Amino acid sequence: MSLAIPNGLDNTVERPGERAPLVLGDTTYHDITEAVCQVAERPPGRGWIFGFLVAFALLNWLGICIAYLIYTGVGVWGNQAPVFWGWPIVNFVFWVGIGHAGTLISAILFLFRQEWRTSINRAAEAMTIFAVACAGTFPGIHVGRAWLAFWLAPYPSLNLWMWPQFRSPLLWDVFAVSTYGTVSLLFWYMGMVPDLATFRDRSKNKWRRMAYGILALGWTGSSRHWMRYEKAYALLAALAAPLVLSVHTIVSFDFAVSQVPGWHTTIFPPYFVAGAIFSGFAMVLTLMVPARTMLGLEKLITIRHLENMCKIILATGSIVGLAYGTEFFIAWYGQVPEEQFAFLNRALGPYWWAYLTMVSCNVLSPQLFWFRKFRTTPWLIVLVCIFVNIGMWFERFVIVVTSLSRDYLPSAWSYFHPTWVDWSMLIGSFGLFFTLFLLFCKLMPVINMAETKSTLAKQLHMKHNDEH
Amino acid sequence: MSDDKNEKKVHGIVAEYTSVDTLLDACRRVRDAGYTKTDAYTPFAVHGIDKALGIKPTVLPWIVLGGGLAGLATALAMQIWMNGINYPYIISGKPYISLPAFMPVAFELTVLFASFGAFFGMWALNGLPRFSNPIFTDPRFDRVTDDRFFLYIDAKDKSFNQAGAEKLLRDTETEYINTVVDDDTSTVIPKFLITTLITVIALSFIPLLVVARMRVTTSSQPRFHIFPDMDFSPARDAQQTTSLFADNRAMRPDVPGTVARGELEEDLDYLTGIDMESLTRLDADRAKQLVRTYAQAENGEPENSDATPKTDAPAEEKSVMDTTPWLKNNPVEITKDVVLKGQEQFNIYCATCHGRDGRGNGLVNQRAQQIMASSWIPPSSMHQESLYAEQYPDGKLFNTISNGIRKMPGYAGQIKSKDRWSIVAYVRALQQSQNASLDDVPKDQQAELKAKKADVEKALAEQAEAERKKEEERAAKAAEKE
Ligand code: HEC
Repeated sequence: MSLAIPNGLDNTVERPGERAPLVLGDTTYHDITEAVCQVAERPPGRGWIFGFLVAFALLNWLGICIAYLIYTGVGVWGNQAPVFWGWPIVNFVFWVGIGHAGTLISAILFLFRQEWRTSINRAAEAMTIFAVACAGTFPGIHVGRAWLAFWLAPYPSLNLWMWPQFRSPLLWDVFAVSTYGTVSLLFWYMGMVPDLATFRDRSKNKWRRMAYGILALGWTGSSRHWMRYEKAYALLAALAAPLVLSVHTIVSFDFAVSQVPGWHTTIFPPYFVAGAIFSGFAMVLTLMVPARTMLGLEKLITIRHLENMCKIILATGSIVGLAYGTEFFIAWYGQVPEEQFAFLNRALGPYWWAYLTMVSCNVLSPQLFWFRKFRTTPWLIVLVCIFVNIGMWFERFVIVVTSLSRDYLPSAWSYFHPTWVDWSMLIGSFGLFFTLFLLFCKLMPVINMAETKSTLAKQLHMKHNDEH
Repeated sequence: MSDDKNEKKVHGIVAEYTSVDTLLDACRRVRDAGYTKTDAYTPFAVHGIDKALGIKPTVLPWIVLGGGLAGLATALAMQIWMNGINYPYIISGKPYISLPAFMPVAFELTVLFASFGAFFGMWALNGLPRFSNPIFTDPRFDRVTDDRFFLYIDAKDKSFNQAGAEKLLRDTETEYINTVVDDDTSTVIPKFLITTLITVIALSFIPLLVVARMRVTTSSQPRFHIFPDMDFSPARDAQQTTSLFADNRAMRPDVPGTVARGELEEDLDYLTGIDMESLTRLDADRAKQLVRTYAQAENGEPENSDATPKTDAPAEEKSVMDTTPWLKNNPVEITKDVVLKGQEQFNIYCATCHGRDGRGNGLVNQRAQQIMASSWIPPSSMHQESLYAEQYPDGKLFNTISNGIRKMPGYAGQIKSKDRWSIVAYVRALQQSQNASLDDVPKDQQAELKAKKADVEKALAEQAEAERKKEEERAAKAAEKE
C-alpha cells in the first residue's frame, strides 16, 4: 500500500487502522537535511532582515528603558499603592506561561510517544528558553535595586550576614524558574547536538566549521553514544515533565499563599498550569505558522501538526474557562464576603473591560477550534492564537491588578495607571523574544533532523513491511 | 587502500551503508563473527542496533538517581541549616524547620541535580567532547550526519585481522570500505588565537588586582559608589544652601504665625526684653503695635516685625535703641544651673564668633582675618564698658541676641527665649570674671584663693630663680672656656 496522499498534502484525514504520515511526500533522509539546513545556509531574506531590525530596535528600546529604570528607580512604573505588583509581574507571569509549551511538547509528548512532536519540538523549546529569558528580566528589575538581585541566591554574604527566607513562595519561584530555565537549556542544547554535527559536516567555511564543531562536541553518531544519548534524553524528559508542571504551580503560589482576596484559592496551581500550556501552544502556533511558510518547511511541519496543537488549545482553553467558572462558584459557596466581593469586582468592577477581554479571548475564541476549518486553515489559526495571547496577558492583568487595587482596606483602593515605561517594557520584551528567535532560525537547526529522520525511518519500515 | 596509508597506524575498518536494514544486517554478521570492539555510526538513533551489535545497557540511570538524591539532600540540608539553625527566625508562625515549606525548593533541586547527572553524565560516559577522532579522516564520513550509515571494526579487537575483517564486510551490502588511519591534520592552535587568549586572560586580571588592592589598602577618599544605594541622604545640613526655597537657606526659620514648643509665653517683657509698662507710658503706639504683633503670632497670622527694634541703619538705630525702656534685670531667677546652661549655649552659638572668653576672637573671626575677608566686621568684645550692665541693660542684650544687631544675625529662631536669658546671665558672669577683684569672691573662699595665689607666686619665683641660676652657670662656663 502506498502512502501517496489523495488530496495533495492533506494528512489530517484519519484512516482507520493506519497512521497518518508525519513527513509528507516522497521524502528521503537527505531531503530532510537539505530542507532544514537550507534555512540556515541561505543568506537571510528580506523578510528576515526586516523582522530582525524591528525586533532588534525594540530590544534596544527595552535596554534603554531598563537603564532608565535602574538609574531613576521603580517610580517610573505605574506601580503605586496599593498595586505594587503592576505590569512587571503581569509580564513575568505571562512570559513564564508562554515558556511552558516548549518543554511540555518535548517532554510530555515525548513520554506519551506522540511522534508528531518531532518536527515542532526544537522551535518550541527554543521559544521556551527565550520566553523564560523575557520572564526572568521582569522580576530581576522589579526588585528595585537590580544590581543586588543576586541577593536572592543563598550564598554566604559578607554584606548581609543572613540567608534567604525559604518559607516564602517568592524564593521558591526563584528556584523554580531558574531550574526550569537551566533544565530547558540543557534539554534544548542536548537535543541539538546531533543536528549541530550535521551543520558542522556541511560547513564549507573553515570558521563556520570550527564554530559548529565546537558546539557539536565531536559528535560522531556512534551507536553507543546514541544509546546513552537516548537514555539521557528519556530521563531528562521524565525529569522535565514534573518540572514543567511545578513551575507554574509555584508561580501560582506567589499569589495563592498570600491572603489577598481573589488570590487565596487552592484552584490556582492547576488553573495556572492549564493556562500556561494554553498560552504556550498559542504562542508556538503564532510563530510556527508564518515560520513554516517563510522557511519552506511545509512538508515537515504539516497541517496535521497544526491541527493537533489546535486541539490542545481547545482542550486547555476549556479547562481555563472551567476554572474561571469554578472560582466564582467557590466564592459563592465559600461565603467569605471579601472573596465574593473580589470576584464580583473582578467581573463587574472598574476593570470589567479587562475581564471581558480575558473571557472572550480565552474562553470563547478557542471554541472556534471545534470546527475543522478553523483548525486546518493557517491564517485562521494564527488569528485565534493571537486572540488567545492577548487574552492570556489580560488574565494575568486581571488577577494581579483587580485583586490588589481593591483589597481589605477600602481607604487605600485606587485605580492602576500604567506609564509609558510599562508599555515600552511590554513591547520591548517582545523585541527580546523575537530577536532571539530570529537569530535562532538563522543560526541553529530549527527542526530536529535526527528525530525526524527516525520518524521517517519508521514510516519507511512500515511501508516496507506493508509491501511484503 | 593505497600504499601511503599503510605507513600510518591503522585504527580500524569502516564500511558504508545506505539503509537501516542493510546496516542492521551487517551488524549482526559482524557480531556473529565474534567481533566486540565494533561500532555503528548513524544519522539518527537506530532502534534494535544495540542488540545487533551487542551493546550493553548504560549505568546512566544510576548517575541520574545519584544526582537526584544529592539534590534532595543538598536542598534539605541547605534550608534546614540556613533557616533553622544558622539564622533562625519565625515566619508566619511556622516552626524553624518547616518541612512542608521546604518541599518546593527540595523538589526543584532534586530535578536540577538529576538533570545535571543526565546531561553531564551522558557526555562523560560518551567521552565527549572529543574534537580529534580518527574516524573523521574518512572522506565520506561527513555524510554520517546526513543520510549514510557506517559500520566500524576497531583494530584493537582481539580477533582483528585486516584481511579477514575486510572480507567479512565485503560480503555485506556495502559499496565502500576504507581503513581508518591516524588523523595527521595539525592540531596546533593558531598562534594569534593563543596570543589573544593570553592577552584577554592577562587583562581580565587587572580589575581583580585593582579590587584586591583596594580591599587591603585604606584611602582618605570617600568610598567609590557605582550605585548610590541610598547612602546619601538628600536632606541638607543646616549650613547648606538649597534651591527649594527662595532664600536658598536649607535651615528653615519658624513658619510665620507658629509658636515653637515651650515658647508660648504670655509675658511680653519676657519675650521682648522690654519693660512694657514703661513703653506704654512713653510710646503707647509702639507698645500697642508690639502687643498686636505677638498676639497675631499666636493667632496664626504672619508676624509683623516692624515693631521689634532691630535695624540695619545706624542712624535710626540710635533713636529706637536708646529710647526703648529695656528691662534692667534678667527676669529669670539666676541660679548656678541657669549660668551653666548659659555657658553651654554661649559656647555653642556665640563662641564661634565672639570666642569663648568673649573677646571677639572666635574661630570665624580668626578665619576671616586669615583670608582677609574685606567685608568682615570683627565681632564685638563683651568686655567693653558700653556693654556692661549699667550702659547695656539685660533687656537690650536679650534683644541683641534675639534679633541681632547690625552685622550680627538674630538667634531667636535657634535659641529658646529661656536659653537666651540664660546666655544674658552668662555674659554678665563672663564680663564680671574678666574684671574681678578679690573682694568679689565669697569670704570663705578668699583665704583658699589667697593660698593658691601664694603657691602660684612661689612656684613662679622658684622657676625664675632656677632660670637665673642656670643662666649664671652657663655664663660662668662660657667664661672658663675663654
Ligand atoms: C556670626 C558671628 C556672630 C555670632 C555667632 C554672634 N555674634 Fe554677636 N556680634 C557679631 C558681630 C560681627 C558683632 C558686631 C556687629 C557690628 O558692629 O556690626 C556682634 C556684636 C555683638 C554684641 C554687641 C552689640 C552692640 O550693641 O554693639 C553683643 C552683645 C553680641 N554680639 C552678643 C552675642 C551673643 C550673646 C551671641 C550668642 C547668642 C552672639 N553675639 C553671637 C557676630 C556674632
